Amino acid sequence: MAIEKLRPEETIREYNFLGAEAAPSREMRIGACNIFGGTCGALKGRGCSKNADRAYNQAQGCQLGLALGILNAIENVVIIIHAPLGCGAGFLGSSGVFRMIRTMKNASLFENIWISTNLTQTEVIGGGLAKLESAVLYAEREFRPEAIVVANSCVPALIGDDIDTLLNNLSRQTSAVLIPVHCEGFKSKLVASGYDAAYHGLLKKLVDPPAEYPRVLPDDIKDAKEKYRIAKTVNIINVSSASVQDENELTRLLKALDLNVNVLPQHASIEEISRISEAAVNLSMCPTHDDYLTGHLKERFGTDYTIETIPVGLKNTARILRHVGGLLGLEEAVERLIESEEAAFYAAVEPYRDAINGLRLFVGGGETRVLATAEQFQALGAHIIAMKPHHFDIFAEPLLADITPDTIIDVAPGQPSEEMNLLARHRPDLYIGHLGAMVWPLKLGIPTMPLFGNTINYMGYTGAFEMIRRAVRILKNPGFAKKVYANVGQPLRKSWYEKDPFYYIREEGDRA
Amino acid sequence: MDAFIERPKFTCALGGAIAAINALPRSVSIVHASGGCGSSLSGVYNSAAGYFGSGYCSGNMESTSNIAEKEIIFGGEDKLLDEIRTSIEIIDADLYFVLSGCQVEMIGEDTVGTAKRFQGGDVRVLAANTPGFAGNSYHGYDTVMAEIAKSLVKRKDKKRTNVVNILGIVPGQDVFYKGNLREIKRILFALGLKANTFFGENETVEDIENSGDAALNLVFSEFYGVKAAKTFEEVHGIPYIQTDLPIGDTATERFIRLVAGALHINQNKVRRLIASEKKYYYSYVERMLDIYADIDLQRYLIAVLDSSYAYPIMQFLSDDVGWIAHLAIVNDIEDGAQQLRYAEKFKTLESSSRPAVVFEPHTGQVRKHITDSWPRNRNDRYYDALGPSFVIGSSLEGSTAASLNAGFLPIAFPLTSRLVLNKGYTGYHGALALLEDIFSVLVAGR
Repeated sequence: MAIEKLRPEETIREYNFLGAEAAPSREMRIGACNIFGGTCGALKGRGCSKNADRAYNQAQGCQLGLALGILNAIENVVIIIHAPLGCGAGFLGSSGVFRMIRTMKNASLFENIWISTNLTQTEVIGGGLAKLESAVLYAEREFRPEAIVVANSCVPALIGDDIDTLLNNLSRQTSAVLIPVHCEGFKSKLVASGYDAAYHGLLKKLVDPPAEYPRVLPDDIKDAKEKYRIAKTVNIINVSSASVQDENELTRLLKALDLNVNVLPQHASIEEISRISEAAVNLSMCPTHDDYLTGHLKERFGTDYTIETIPVGLKNTARILRHVGGLLGLEEAVERLIESEEAAFYAAVEPYRDAINGLRLFVGGGETRVLATAEQFQALGAHIIAMKPHHFDIFAEPLLADITPDTIIDVAPGQPSEEMNLLARHRPDLYIGHLGAMVWPLKLGIPTMPLFGNTINYMGYTGAFEMIRRAVRILKNPGFAKKVYANVGQPLRKSWYEKDPFYYIREEGDRA
Repeated sequence: MDAFIERPKFTCALGGAIAAINALPRSVSIVHASGGCGSSLSGVYNSAAGYFGSGYCSGNMESTSNIAEKEIIFGGEDKLLDEIRTSIEIIDADLYFVLSGCQVEMIGEDTVGTAKRFQGGDVRVLAANTPGFAGNSYHGYDTVMAEIAKSLVKRKDKKRTNVVNILGIVPGQDVFYKGNLREIKRILFALGLKANTFFGENETVEDIENSGDAALNLVFSEFYGVKAAKTFEEVHGIPYIQTDLPIGDTATERFIRLVAGALHINQNKVRRLIASEKKYYYSYVERMLDIYADIDLQRYLIAVLDSSYAYPIMQFLSDDVGWIAHLAIVNDIEDGAQQLRYAEKFKTLESSSRPAVVFEPHTGQVRKHITDSWPRNRNDRYYDALGPSFVIGSSLEGSTAASLNAGFLPIAFPLTSRLVLNKGYTGYHGALALLEDIFSVLVAGR
């Protein structure tokens, strides 16, 4: 089968942003926007307007958190958050989860170390570099890490702290590689810019072309073997929203094609990351995460990559496998693999079909995952009532074609009020959503299922099966949601539920 | 200059303010800052305060003006005006509290002035400057409570001798704040007093408004809640006394006598109350005597806690349970004079053991302080080890406790390895809950 057309990587011609201190914002780079209310049909081809605005805004994520989510999972790294105390406090809630994941991976356990430079009024006036310097030297002395990541936040950006120059100078005193990461919250309304910020730092400081040492005695056979190994190696670029089981499933599929697999950068060592170019293909688990990394690696090392979708659901898993097959000349083997995997999957989901058929679903979260998850359920006969991706960009556009055009789509970073309005109107059987978002549908009495989880399998064929099995299991007893609805309040006024869900969205110029 | 902190066990002023407002009855914050501050900070308490949750209207339901680069350059006042107006329009709350973050404070926005335009109508709107760089989360709590005392609580000339207010128990930073308040309120009620706790069960914003007739404010901390108590004193003429979180027999009796003395409560009533509470408390302690004695449940105690808990926990386990108070590592006091004052308190322990008291903001140094507190085994055949020992701290101390082979109960923020609902550790009932939790750890393997 021919590889499908319309690949985003053909749209983006150039990366080459590493000369700059910081990555450009996604608004600029990939036409991302996060304000739209309407149907998939209306969004398709047109995209949402970057000049639109909301008269009522609710909390979103911060790109600092997303950037650090990638970098703190690298082995033997200390994170310094150059900020007042609150930025990076997210680690307080997540360090236990991190330990759980390492345990599941059978990886060595180590403590996540982070340091806040604790910027106060004094530094707001006088600058914060002195504190940053002492924090870097403390981290070097106390923890002897291989790398120290310095995440720059809003306050030092507004003070004008030049962290890059400071870190360049300090790097002569440290054995750790010092990595500046510019992930100031106010600089992008799209939290996913944080992934670019993280990879910008990683690409600049940790990814070097592997050193080549000429052999004393030439050995053509060894050289050829090495070349062959690399030509048959795929890097799976892992993300914090995926699980160990997801990595294992994708590894299983690639190994079935006789390929070697590396999983990185999360829970990988600095050494492993520095050799990221020793692969024929970089397989992205999610375009929202990785295009900045895979695009740059292509430019620097010529490594091919797949970026079009997320391997969630059969259709999107097959898309990625076919792309890998196309790049490595394994088309036939891939078709055989897909055929046998799909046959096994369909046999396995047979008992669940009745429960899924006609199920009314609402799916919210990251754009690619939302569209791919919706597609899988729709393919088994579920009815997608509405979707709420956090943002919309060129990567989502092709996937939109998989969803019935009259499906409602609310492009919003958070904004649970709009979601609640839609949910109350349409009352789906199940809400599948992002962490932090599910408590609100639950308060409306709607059973919920996590869209992702770092201890749950969602990807590949086993992931698709787990997803279906999970949904059916959750719906076996929606009793808790009913009790919650009857007894726990929610904060939005009755009058809000009578208004249009997109009442507060305004195009440039008009006032709601 | 406050130094950097490795793994600080608190968030910033904005975080403390958000957690406090989330804990107030039917109250919502409107955060004038970048989009990520509100949900990130409330998310920390959601997950790291024993799964405190998004509450009535926090988490990603939090109203936020969503300041970005454009507003940094052109100003964000219009966005804030829109945000307050629409928040009132859409959210059903008894109190709207506008909070400023770092970005808007640095560009000189007048958040409080903008919010004032909404005051005087039929909804209650308060505002405070709470940029992260102003201080830690305890500071945020203080700022919110002082503003409430100043602008929300109604002036009342006539005080009621049987009404007290409770301050200094910081929601979120004290994971057990609600259960703690309930027990304190119960004991005060038994003394014939009505207590406004602001955050407690079944309390309302009206109760807060009417708290200006209290005869006395009780501050359960050496440091926190004092700013609000002082505001109550200046604005409402209500005096305050400071005391420790009362945990267990000795401390709670001391607390009851302190309050009774300050409010001239009949001594017979006090004696009767203490006698009946003690009888109740020891009737349950009796149940654990067999196992305590049979397998020797005395431990060396290492407390890695903030100033609200370090002394009370150590005092309870040392004076009432017979443990050996070995080492207290306190993370939240920076000021040298305050450190000296706090360390003094441990000299009042009834038991003969005197703990070492260390002030250490860096989480990673905890293990070193513990190893430094005891002579090392230099391959001696007979070695008096620091054991059996028990660590009470936050979830971050789990690996340290494991490496010491010590028993471990996390009770302090960040508390991610336990889910906390209505439990509290104060008073007589709370002390029993604490005994259950501690000794359950020690029999868990059986």
